[in-house]
Amino acid sequence: MLASIQRWLARFDLVVIAGLFLALLPVLHVQRTTDFIVFCLYVLSFDLIYGHMGRLSFGHMLYLGAGAYGAALCSVHLSANPIVALAASVILAGAVGLLLGPLVVRTTGACFALINLAFNQVGHFVVLIAAAAYTGGEDGMTAAFSRVGPLNLSQRTHMFAFALAILLAAVWFVRRLTGSPFGILLRSVKEKEERVRFLGYDTTRYKLVAFVLSTSLAGAAGGLSALNYGYVTPSFIDPGRNVEVIFAALIGGAGSVYGALLGGVAYMVISNYLPDYVQRWEMFLGFALLLLVFRFRSGLWGWIAQRAPRPAVEEVAP
Amino acid sequence: MLLDVHNLDVAYGLARVVSDASIHVERGEMVFLVGRNGAGKTTLLRTIAGFLPAAAGDVAFDGASVSGTAPEVLARGGIRYVFQDKRVFTKLTVRENVQLAAFAQKVPLAAAIERVVAIHPRIARFLDAPAGGLSGGQRQLLLIGRALIGDPKLLLIDEPTEGLAAGTIDEVFEVLSNTKGKVAMLIVEQNLPVVRELGDRVYAMKEGRIAVELTRPEEIRDAARLEAYL
Repeated sequence: MLASIQRWLARFDLVVIAGLFLALLPVLHVQRTTDFIVFCLYVLSFDLIYGHMGRLSFGHMLYLGAGAYGAALCSVHLSANPIVALAASVILAGAVGLLLGPLVVRTTGACFALINLAFNQVGHFVVLIAAAAYTGGEDGMTAAFSRVGPLNLSQRTHMFAFALAILLAAVWFVRRLTGSPFGILLRSVKEKEERVRFLGYDTTRYKLVAFVLSTSLAGAAGGLSALNYGYVTPSFIDPGRNVEVIFAALIGGAGSVYGALLGGVAYMVISNYLPDYVQRWEMFLGFALLLLVFRFRSGLWGWIAQRAPRPAVEEVAP
Repeated sequence: MLLDVHNLDVAYGLARVVSDASIHVERGEMVFLVGRNGAGKTTLLRTIAGFLPAAAGDVAFDGASVSGTAPEVLARGGIRYVFQDKRVFTKLTVRENVQLAAFAQKVPLAAAIERVVAIHPRIARFLDAPAGGLSGGQRQLLLIGRALIGDPKLLLIDEPTEGLAAGTIDEVFEVLSNTKGKVAMLIVEQNLPVVRELGDRVYAMKEGRIAVELTRPEEIRDAARLEAYL
């Protein structure tokens, strides 16, 4: 019975995900639920390089910010069409990833984390000071978007449906990607990159592709943020906020699409609603991280998955 | 000549680990490298595979110099390396481990699995289990089977029977024996019965140098000749 439920969930997971976000609507405000969706997309993008490829970045906000400013600048200077603006956000964040990737993906461990943080600091400086004439500096910039046929993103419900459709498409794409030989390759790079090279793979090239896909998805999340709020501020690219996505990925469980979504929702619930009840809510996050490290090392989804019944293929080798 | 290593020097910083090593492997030949721990066998193998840079000398493969060539380029060109520690990708399933090699060599997955199962039929039962659950012998056979996907020209195998139980050594021996003549192999091995039985040519290394080259069968079968270097 449980196994058949699992099979059904695996087949119709996009419907289940959509249903769960729809179920959140009466509990949360529509715009807040959209915020949850956008953050989940951001966590999904981060998890592609952290959970699947094993590279922890302290600078992923750079790509979210590039996407957000890409959409806002597009709406002001190029086109107010929200679809064009979203495409601009993906292209700009992907281009930044493609520009920095050849250097970044050659590094590992602390170097990878810190080099991303360094570039994030540069991006923050550019938005805040160097390009303030275009970005509005500390004040940020507003972004107004036009209707596209029946799609009017200034209506909260339209924005919710649009963001949900993008998230579901991203989940489908990431799941296909990570289940393909390319995904197997990324997981093997995470385990031992040197051995992957001896199989004949130019791992740098594959890591670059994964990195650019990750930055493009983060850019999409940034673009959706700009569409959802109608303005962009330097907080969208603030290096100090990198901890949010790291926490979310750890809470949900790295290396799983469902872990990324669960972690995204859990982090948003903690950061949005806990401050109403607990004054220093960040301390709670610290305790939550300690609990994760000692009790749930594979995150909430990992903990759930370990307890789910598995198909009978795990015969122990003699 | 398939592989021609000429006057090769390899150093870790100031420490020279391999000095003036010259060996060669003909097509389809099974060549063994023997010697004590620290003699420089693995270093020589890793340099041929492109993982370590040579300080001097040259490595030629299939008629062209490949010194300084990246391991992935050599792997695509037909040189496969089977590591000493029998480490498969433990978090991937056995099928995914095979798929990784099949994708690299552009071989259909079914044909790649068939190749591995032909080498070790019992592994068919564990295709969807994590490879980390395999025994040491099964891992070794999986690694050899995986290296054979895509018909390589040269296998570099580091200590294939090290740490294995007697029965498993026999299985590895049988696989190597069945593969002999179909693909050239350069094998680091300390198990002298295996060397004596299968070797077409044997090089003994001592303190980073090739101390002796044995080519005649009666020399290779002579137990005393090789034991002096272990």
